[in-house]
Amino acid sequence: MLSYKQNPDPSGLHSRRMNRKKDKGFEICINNINFQRKSVIGYVELTIFPTVMNLNRIKLNSKQCRIYRVRVNDLEAPFIYNDPTLEVCHHESKQRNLNYFSSAYTAAVSAVDPDAGNGELSIKVPSELWKQGDEMKVMKVYIEFSLDQPKGGLHFVVPDVDGSMAERAAHVFSFGNQNSTRFWFPCVDSYSELCTWKLEFTVDASMVAVSCGDLVETVYTHDMRKKTFHYMLPIPTAAPNISLAVGPFEILVDPYMHEVTHFCLPQLLPLLKQTMSYLHEIFEFYEEILTCRYPYSCFKTVFVDEAYVQVSSYASMSIFSTNLLHSGMIIDQTPVTRRCLAQALAQQFFGCFISRMSWSDEWVLKGISGYIYGLYLKKTFGVNEYRHWIKEELDKIVEYELKMGGVLLHPTFSGGKEKDNPTPHLHFSIRHPHTLSWEYYKMFQCKAHLVMRLIENRISMEFMLQVFNKLLSLASTASSQKYQSHMWSQMLVSTSGFLKSISNVSGKDIGPLIKQWVDQSGVVKFFGSFAFNRKRNVLELEIRQDYTSSGTQKYVGPIKVTVQELDGSFNHTLQIEENSLKHDIPCHSKSRRNKKKKIPLMNGEEVDMDLSAMDADSPLLWIRIDPDMSILRKVEFEQADFMWQYQLRFERDVVAQEEAISALEIFPTPASRLALTDILEQDQCFYKVRIQACFCLAKIANSMMSTWTGPPAMKSLFTRMFCCKSCPNIVKTNNFINFQSYFLQKTMPVAMALLRDVQNLCPKEVLNFILDLIKYNDNRKNKFSDNYYRAELIDALTNSLTPAISINNEVRTVDNLNTDVRLILEEITRFLNMEKLLPSYRNTITVSCLRAIRMLQKNGHIPSDPSLFKSYAQYGHFVDVRIAALEAVIDYTRGTHFVLTTNFLCLSFSMLGKLGPFSWSGIFFIFQLVCLLQRLGHNTISPNLMLIFSIYREVLHPSYVQKLFSFIIFIKERYSFTILTGKS
Amino acid sequence: KYLKSGVSNPLQPQSNTPEPANQGVQGYLIITDRCVGAGLELKSAGWFTFSTIAGFNVDTLPVYAKRSQRMVITKCTHPTYIPSHFPEFPDPHTYIKTPVKCMFLMLAASQRRDVERALTRFMAKTGETESLFKDDISAFPLIAAKPSAIPYLSALLPSELELQTLEETDSSEQDDQTDTENNSSNVSQDDQSADKENVVLPPGGVVPTGKANEENMIDNPYLRLVKKHKGRRKKLKFIY
Repeated sequence: MLSYKQNPDPSGLHSRRMNRKKDKGFEICINNINFQRKSVIGYVELTIFPTVMNLNRIKLNSKQCRIYRVRVNDLEAPFIYNDPTLEVCHHESKQRNLNYFSSAYTAAVSAVDPDAGNGELSIKVPSELWKQGDEMKVMKVYIEFSLDQPKGGLHFVVPDVDGSMAERAAHVFSFGNQNSTRFWFPCVDSYSELCTWKLEFTVDASMVAVSCGDLVETVYTHDMRKKTFHYMLPIPTAAPNISLAVGPFEILVDPYMHEVTHFCLPQLLPLLKQTMSYLHEIFEFYEEILTCRYPYSCFKTVFVDEAYVQVSSYASMSIFSTNLLHSGMIIDQTPVTRRCLAQALAQQFFGCFISRMSWSDEWVLKGISGYIYGLYLKKTFGVNEYRHWIKEELDKIVEYELKMGGVLLHPTFSGGKEKDNPTPHLHFSIRHPHTLSWEYYKMFQCKAHLVMRLIENRISMEFMLQVFNKLLSLASTASSQKYQSHMWSQMLVSTSGFLKSISNVSGKDIGPLIKQWVDQSGVVKFFGSFAFNRKRNVLELEIRQDYTSSGTQKYVGPIKVTVQELDGSFNHTLQIEENSLKHDIPCHSKSRRNKKKKIPLMNGEEVDMDLSAMDADSPLLWIRIDPDMSILRKVEFEQADFMWQYQLRFERDVVAQEEAISALEIFPTPASRLALTDILEQDQCFYKVRIQACFCLAKIANSMMSTWTGPPAMKSLFTRMFCCKSCPNIVKTNNFINFQSYFLQKTMPVAMALLRDVQNLCPKEVLNFILDLIKYNDNRKNKFSDNYYRAELIDALTNSLTPAISINNEVRTVDNLNTDVRLILEEITRFLNMEKLLPSYRNTITVSCLRAIRMLQKNGHIPSDPSLFKSYAQYGHFVDVRIAALEAVIDYTRGTHFVLTTNFLCLSFSMLGKLGPFSWSGIFFIFQLVCLLQRLGHNTISPNLMLIFSIYREVLHPSYVQKLFSFIIFIKERYSFTILTGKS
Repeated sequence: KYLKSGVSNPLQPQSNTPEPANQGVQGYLIITDRCVGAGLELKSAGWFTFSTIAGFNVDTLPVYAKRSQRMVITKCTHPTYIPSHFPEFPDPHTYIKTPVKCMFLMLAASQRRDVERALTRFMAKTGETESLFKDDISAFPLIAAKPSAIPYLSALLPSELELQTLEETDSSEQDDQTDTENNSSNVSQDDQSADKENVVLPPGGVVPTGKANEENMIDNPYLRLVKKHKGRRKKLKFIY
């Protein structure tokens, strides 16, 4: 049973809210949670402070709840419930296209938007109270509701085994895309409506209810079979930041911070202890840089199964996927989980405690939390990792915008309907978080934190942190005030407020920067080339821009260029102007001198270089454009291969090294080979650079096939690093104590397997080498698990596969199996079978085996057949396995064996074509699955579409599913397609 | 060979040597054999067990012993910084690891694979299987994938083998991170007691009895005792 109380606080900020009430306090009480029936019964009580006269209608948000009664100040009140998103297109029969659907869907979402004073639930204030309303007196709205088999908002996990619900580890938790709290109780579902909360949850005595705020007390019911958890959240909080998790959780009080409590599902406590052992460090870090204490009096982390997203943050608690838990033996998962924890905690400060004024201010919150998360990465994982991450994020956003169109951080929605939508043809409206595409939102977050970093570059980190501190301290002062003091709006951040703080604190005008990156979409695309003018001793640099393609914008302003010359490294700031393309940069060094002298680098280091490769006339070693990534840009720069090689060997910045590696792919020469091998061997070099070098080396080796001398690339290196001295074909017993070499040991075989000989086959030597690695792999003396290593060895086997030579389309049988393939298959069979007896962490080995089998099928070595994958795709396998199996099934349908036959499919596909490339892949994915199910008689996987969605919940975002779901209902109405049975 | 006849002989009268059973027993024997081997290895720093010698030509031993690059282990004397009254080093074979030869490594590796293969084949033959080939179902038998009710448990928790390895490496490294296993046993023991005492903790409640006092000192609301119901009024107090 759950009861909650929202004290709504409709601040009179938005004049358009004509019939707006103010909610000040909110009480929610859930009295009954039935795991068997997956239902919930409870009531809510809102305390409303009217801000307008004649408040006679109150609109609240509520979805899928059944409302039994509504009372206002103890008087029964009539109400109307209408959720327009349930039936987006009504019975429209003329317009069957997606544009129509999109606009109808946007309209439906707008119609219930709480920020515009709308809602699904419209309550008529009893006439007896009208007079009271005129006097602006407090009103109490009491709503009884129930929820049956919720499709969103709350997720029930009820394993199908014997025993009580607690023994079965049944649990329920709230989830949602943005403001989705309306799915599980009626409320004002807006990030800008703050109120204080009182929450009560009555659950089975064997369960724990974890929710926001302080647990005041736990009381047994009369019959002692249930207990009620009473929570109080005195800090004004918006309804979307309220959450709940109920289950037979094991409890761990953080040994370093007693006000922090961790919860996990039964039997996982040892993992929880391990996983949480460093949380206090993250806390300390954020509190230190923000010079502000964690705003809530307690913090809870809950790990649940079947979580929709890895991390979701709510006021004073975060819900994580249970799959983030790991034991101390697992290397690869540890940094991933730490990152997730750090993200969750950053969002506690900016996102939960400080909320947003409106949807168009979202970028500030995402930007700040992403930015401080980046600072944490820098501190914990080092500058190399940080710069690598920034480059990765920058590449991601640049690639997305250039391919899909711009991402707009701060849409104003002032003018016409979709004026602010940079690419309306690619995705649904960006006006509402609920119509937004998932991919777009991911990129939005990515861009937001990159822009924060640009602001930092402009005003310095010190000022930046001061601004954050100011926002937090204003908010915490406001949070302790009463509602009547009208201070609570300080807890909401807006774009203008944020920019004002920046200019107050730093005294700098960042207007142009904001205009460039926040108020308009797009990235910059540079092309650079240069020539050295020997007579004038000048470097003539040409920087061109492409600002006409979609997703680009024109850049005007400063750009930094770093030139490494014989005499040292020099920074130059050039002005990119309207019409000037060429820039002359005077060189400091006279061209090559004879005397041997060490060459000073950017970081002050002086090194010896073999200068024989370079042009005798030019003093230039290498040139970098915008080395600090202070523009959101893509740079395509042309310089000679030896310059890239020098850059790779001697530039100490990992970003430069990575750029050099990707540039060297098109220069398959012995010199490139040597440069890459040297980097590979250098253990001071950042391991991710070395990993990238492995793959580049494999590519180069393949291009140099005819001239390649010596053993296959990387083999001798691997032997030297990881094999026994006395018998080079036997790998040493695993010892992963040095993580850098562990990652290298894992990657090298995978890259080596990509090597091809003149017949375009993987060299026999390499294949045998990998098989030997598998054979002699011995982990008995290792304190770390080798599951990821073994999985990658299987991936290496997969990479070694090449299409089978088939004679007359013969059927693949055991007898005509290629001998190499037979060996590979033996290993895969053994691995897959051993996994049943001794499962590996996150079943990484099964995942790799499934991929390998699909690859064998695809290359025609074994008969193509999806039945194995179908069994692994079933509910009840670990989620990673299911995803891998489903990918294999989908891949199978893409093969030649699958023909789209029915009229329905042709029709729907032609309609889907209008979605553009972006949503296409996702929907195509699901539709193929649906088709497949239909074709196969859907005996193994339930045809229920919701189930398919639930399979995909790790892959697809709820909003996407929701959208898709509406769309499918839409199609279903048109074509009476009966297989799709879902909620109607 | 010995193994094979040994296993199949006693079975022959009853049936026509069921292949799976044979493999299973064989697997078992190899495992036992390995354990013995491991024990021996510890004691004598040698690998001379039945299985390692099987298939190994004994005649080559003298030649091997007289090989030119043979390592001779001499007894260590005290370095200068150790006073002479300290006891002498024990015989070298007690602490010097005999250099492991490739052959043994290879043998050990192939044995391990044989065990694994025998074991998995046994499992595959006794249970449901899936096959990659339609024409020959027995060619590469894959144990059928069975969905489990709580799939995350087996996927996340370390297997017994891994725990064992961890324990071994830990004890050798004097690392005290062994509490993982201890705790899980504590938890299961604690299960019923926690329920009986009506503590706030759920089943599988954390506080192992030993630590109870210490943890009670921590003021965490989730560790507090659950209150008895005292009527409605009490409850309302917190609403306002």
